[in-house]
Amino acid sequence: MIDAFHESSTTLFNRHVRNWKTDGGKVVGYTCSYVPDEIFHAASILPYRLRGVGAREMNIADAYFGPFICSLPKCLLQLAGEGKYHFLDGAVVTPGCDSMRRLDDCWRKAGEDRAEALPSFFFHYAVPHKTADYSLKWFIEETRRLQAAVEKHFNVTITDYQLYDSIGIYNEGRLLLSRLDALRCAPDVAISGADALAVVLASTTIPRKSFNSLLMDLIAQIEAGSDRISGRKRLMLVGSANDDVELVRLIEGDEAVVVADNLCFGARFYADLVEQDGDPVAALAKRYLYHNDCPRMFGDYKGRLSILKEKIERAAVDGVILQNIRFCDLHGSENGIFERDLEAAGIPCMRIEREYGPLVETGRIRMRIDAFLERLEK
Amino acid sequence: MITAGCDVGSLTSKAVIMRDNRIVAQEVIRSRTKPAESAVAVMNMALQKAQMTLTDIVFCVGTGYGRDKIPFISEAVSEISCHARGARWLLPTVKTVIDIGGQDCKAMRIDKDGKILKFITNDKCASGTGRFLEVMARIINVSLDDLGGLSARATAPIALANACTVWAQADVIQHLNDGISAEDIGAGINNAMASRMAVLANNIGLERDLCMTGGVAKNAGVVSALEKLLGMSIKRIKKVDPQLVGAVGAALIAGDKVERRTAS
Repeated sequence: MIDAFHESSTTLFNRHVRNWKTDGGKVVGYTCSYVPDEIFHAASILPYRLRGVGAREMNIADAYFGPFICSLPKCLLQLAGEGKYHFLDGAVVTPGCDSMRRLDDCWRKAGEDRAEALPSFFFHYAVPHKTADYSLKWFIEETRRLQAAVEKHFNVTITDYQLYDSIGIYNEGRLLLSRLDALRCAPDVAISGADALAVVLASTTIPRKSFNSLLMDLIAQIEAGSDRISGRKRLMLVGSANDDVELVRLIEGDEAVVVADNLCFGARFYADLVEQDGDPVAALAKRYLYHNDCPRMFGDYKGRLSILKEKIERAAVDGVILQNIRFCDLHGSENGIFERDLEAAGIPCMRIEREYGPLVETGRIRMRIDAFLERLEK
Repeated sequence: MITAGCDVGSLTSKAVIMRDNRIVAQEVIRSRTKPAESAVAVMNMALQKAQMTLTDIVFCVGTGYGRDKIPFISEAVSEISCHARGARWLLPTVKTVIDIGGQDCKAMRIDKDGKILKFITNDKCASGTGRFLEVMARIINVSLDDLGGLSARATAPIALANACTVWAQADVIQHLNDGISAEDIGAGINNAMASRMAVLANNIGLERDLCMTGGVAKNAGVVSALEKLLGMSIKRIKKVDPQLVGAVGAALIAGDKVERRTAS
């Protein structure tokens, strides 16, 4: 059953998206976990989290970005330039970080040079960096601007009723993912970190109702089964966006299991529900701005540290791996502070820097993981 | 009890055989294309020297980048743990170890048993590694063994603007073309290497005593420059070639594992 999730997590144009398109459905890609899926779902559009899976070259991306920048937005642009996102009817880019902000410029420019690279709907969705009253007010307006743009371009009307319905469906998915999380961090681990990541990745591409149904079946199967992972070192994975199941598999090897994470393709993606009363757009803006603990947000380091500590305790984590994609300033710098503070609290940490994309540094990463696990053996 | 350690690195492969925690044979060879071939070759040479066969060895630990490909080992252990264990055994007061190998460099703080408390390694880059020195020595036409001695004879060491091995080559060629002496260029190369390593080492919080392992520990110019940069003397390993510390640690860990198994 888990294979269905793995297929969706490793294939851009997977079976579910193909079926959606065959049935005449529209697909809008987005780059960041601050984009509310519900706006698109309410418009009967499939929201699709963009990933760089399958990028093997950088010739197009290098031309627009240059070499000294995070490889995640570069992979996205490369795939766009190669026409691999041919199934997209639209794309939304956010200033999740400076590199992603630049993706907006580079993608638009690439669209001038390669017509097929740019979807007909292309929207820059600004997200504030502070969680103050005035920034929420502004973000609500920005979310309404996104809603209006979707309505205009796709000739649809998004009613409050439809938004409530979508919020309910996505909240159900979040609750199911949280149930899976509980199975993952239990004393007898019921699902590996690699499989758990595959499930989360699948949730970013499969139509949510189908996903909820699949996940419900998976949870039932896991709960009914007796396969449990024990006797391994329990790790937590923190840092830059990781959508590579193979990286988690490499980290886990035969001696470890990733029982918790704080990643945007992970727990941060499904943590916290959207309020289901009042103005639905305001409720969406509030959840996405306030409950998404990314270092892009100013002045909330202590809050993020306490989230890590709470998860470490709940999942009985033996050690924390703080990883960042090369040139990721946000996570690269915050990982250093996390390391200082977690080590001071007696929690062993290890930092690794990696490239996004095809996993080519396995030897170097494996050596560090082995040494870290040996350190935890004491 | 006879134990062994086999360290298959990117540039060299090393084997150490120990009897009751005393080194009875050691060998270093240039690594071949396949780690398994390197391991078999270097271990056969060490066995020959010790007048033993593989069956005499009770437990063998493999380490280095090729550790998982070594066919005859009982267990694989990371080179970080092996260097730590080996260094502490060779110098019992050591608390910090800097290892510069062929393609990476590492700094580690260790406890009294030689176990890792904290470690850091370089990123995917040749600067600050033995490969950097090898490339530079070739350009200025001196042997790797002689490169370290150039620092002592330099009068005005050059400053390398680039930490990158590729760009540093261009800098060195420019200095050669300008007629700068090999001594001053060599000293600049050694200083650049030490400077890169100091940044890494300072990251883990150094504690005395400090020692260096790996082939670069034999480069007097780098060691002396590093001492100045860190403001701390670096203890010299004299009992064995510093390049062999990982293999020594592997053989010691092999002994630890046998003892633990026997005790349990």
